[in-house]
Amino acid sequence: MGNRFGRYAIWIVIAIVGAVSWGVLALSRGETINAVWLLFAALATYAIAYRFYARFIQRKVLETDDTRATPAERLNNGQDFEPMDRRVLFGHHFAAIAGAGPLVGPVLAAQLGFLPGTFWIIFGVILAGAVQDMTTLFFSMRRDGKSLGQMAREEIGPVGGAAALIAVLAIMVILLAVLALVVVNALADSPWGSFSIAMTLPIALLMGVYLRFLRPGRVLEVSVIGVALLFAAIIGGGYISEASGYAEAWTFSKTQIVWALIAYGFIASVLPVWLLLAPRDYLSTFMKIGTIGLLGIGIIITLPVLQMPSTTPFAFNGQGPVFAGPLFPFVFITIACGALSGFHALIASGTTPKLIQKESQVRFIGYGAMLVESFVAIMALIAAALLDPGIYFAMNATAGVVGSTPESAATAVTNLGFAVSAESISNTATNVGESSIVSRTGGAPTLAVGMSEIFAGVIGGQALQAFWYHFAIMFEALFILTTVDAGTRVGRFMLQDLIGNVYRPFANASWLPGNIVASGLIVAAWGYFLYAGATDPLGGINQLFPLFGIANQLLAAVALTVGTTILIKMGKLKYVWVTLVPLAWDAAVTLTASWYKIFSSDPKIGFFQQRSDALAAYNAGEVFAPATTLEATQQVITNTTVQGTLSVLFALAILIVIADAMRVWIGIIRGKKEPVVQEAPYEESYLDVYGKTLEEPVGAGVGSNRNE
Amino acid sequence: MNKALRPVRSAWWYLKEISGENAYDHYLAIHTTTHPDRQPMDRGEFYRRQQDEKYNNPGSRCP
Repeated sequence: MGNRFGRYAIWIVIAIVGAVSWGVLALSRGETINAVWLLFAALATYAIAYRFYARFIQRKVLETDDTRATPAERLNNGQDFEPMDRRVLFGHHFAAIAGAGPLVGPVLAAQLGFLPGTFWIIFGVILAGAVQDMTTLFFSMRRDGKSLGQMAREEIGPVGGAAALIAVLAIMVILLAVLALVVVNALADSPWGSFSIAMTLPIALLMGVYLRFLRPGRVLEVSVIGVALLFAAIIGGGYISEASGYAEAWTFSKTQIVWALIAYGFIASVLPVWLLLAPRDYLSTFMKIGTIGLLGIGIIITLPVLQMPSTTPFAFNGQGPVFAGPLFPFVFITIACGALSGFHALIASGTTPKLIQKESQVRFIGYGAMLVESFVAIMALIAAALLDPGIYFAMNATAGVVGSTPESAATAVTNLGFAVSAESISNTATNVGESSIVSRTGGAPTLAVGMSEIFAGVIGGQALQAFWYHFAIMFEALFILTTVDAGTRVGRFMLQDLIGNVYRPFANASWLPGNIVASGLIVAAWGYFLYAGATDPLGGINQLFPLFGIANQLLAAVALTVGTTILIKMGKLKYVWVTLVPLAWDAAVTLTASWYKIFSSDPKIGFFQQRSDALAAYNAGEVFAPATTLEATQQVITNTTVQGTLSVLFALAILIVIADAMRVWIGIIRGKKEPVVQEAPYEESYLDVYGKTLEEPVGAGVGSNRNE
Repeated sequence: MNKALRPVRSAWWYLKEISGENAYDHYLAIHTTTHPDRQPMDRGEFYRRQQDEKYNNPGSRCP
């Protein structure tokens, strides 16, 4: 009995810590608070959700069964199917789901204050995001690792399946453009950043040759060499920008970087993976895990004070300079990765389900890894919120609002209600080794300034802040670019497959003309959005980011719809709220956001209102502010037409998937349709929970250990 | 002595597993038990195939 009490006592303590931290966060008014309360609130909530809610889902809703062999055990071939140690698989899964998303979204959402983002990141993950990842992982595992698209087609129907496929392609294009735009904004006019990122190319080529010809598969040693060279490149960048006299030659405009990225994306997609993509991937994975770890340690050591208020006026008036629109729904669109990210459903239904040892491990890997990603988002939010809000807004508002000099920015931001001096803006730029930080939108530079303050607080002080800033920029740009080239490649394969249905030779992925045409089409698609975004008079990030968020949440809607359908087919109507409530929420958020983007009469929010205002101005021969020329006004008209049309398409896709699935649900509930569960048949498992092979099936003799 | 080295050894094991350095050894072990009659792939070929599988598959990463 005492033992049992002890077991619950710790959870009572955790609950109290969490409740107190939430209380401090929610009740803080006007005074600054320490980041430690955010950390405690997050960790306590995660722990309780993992222990109680995730366990409930695992045992009652999914009824995982460890006597049942997983596809990794049944189909083990030592390659794509292989029972992998759960801790190693957790690492792989986490590395695959944690990209740039959780770092960018929270930084942008910080304009509303730190509280709205915090609430959504923490409660979104435990009730929606981690649930989506875990259930998708489980359902795909029961179906031998089928992809989300295949499951949508088989469980819902061809219409839902087609909508899912289109969603994947569309999200890919928008996503690549938005991420590439983040890099463009971080590298423009920054010789230090441009040099060190350019150096990653020869470093990757060197590693590729080493891995291919000299020492195949020796990933660790080549990664050590690569990381060492990477540090040399960052230090070299400092020399280039400050002492060499080549700073001018390494200073590029936004448009130049756009073209460089487009050329790079095309070449990387056509070249064999081993030469460029795979080695960059190793580098970026190590850098990513290492830097996220460092950030966590840095926050714990320095325990920074959050200078951003818990909520800003923009949370209520919808007139924020970073992105316009009211708190609901836009905070939920802006922060996707870290709270609820549809893209994870692709990973949870891709590689990971083929590697799970035991069914019960879906909780640790699916739910657990998502909690860690959510924690990364919290850390990014802390890094943005510890900055002086004046600096934050000077960096993140569009050039149309803050101009381009410290003086104009100081005036504009002070007028927004956040007093800041021109000196402190230019001092911040000097400290991080940049010529200007005004209107460096996209989130990456802001996060880098925040991280550099944290890191410099641990090692090196102000003397090393410029180094740490460029370290952070390098780390973000490196793995964003890895996403760009890998994403282009994946898009190329999907397109080749698609065209292959019509014109046979295309189906052969190694046919060079097909490769070149498909790569060109994908690069042209995201390159178009990238170029339009980089030259957008209205500011590209604030226009494109909501579209990206909507596309990502659209994919989440597909995943949750598939999950709900399967739960109903499994006879789990009683527990269907587990996926149905997040789905309803996600649909409400996405459709409301689409509604605003399509129908809002506020030209800061609605694409079509922007369009008609710009058109009216153009027809009258006037310019449409903040555009300064007639050509720019015409550009606004084109951009908003495309963006508005996409919003309509995304909203339609969501409605179609959900309506198609509801038809299936109602059919089953009314008993008119046979609920066919398409699982792979049951086979006994001979693997124990530690991955050891047993002589007899799991659970034989000693009673069943089902659901344990 | 042995006990003190344990965390280091675990960390080293984890690194080798997660980086994929051990993947070929796992493959060899499985291959020799399931298809003792067939010639296994050599190290270079194994990693080439693994790479192709990873990068030709949309489900292998997230933004």
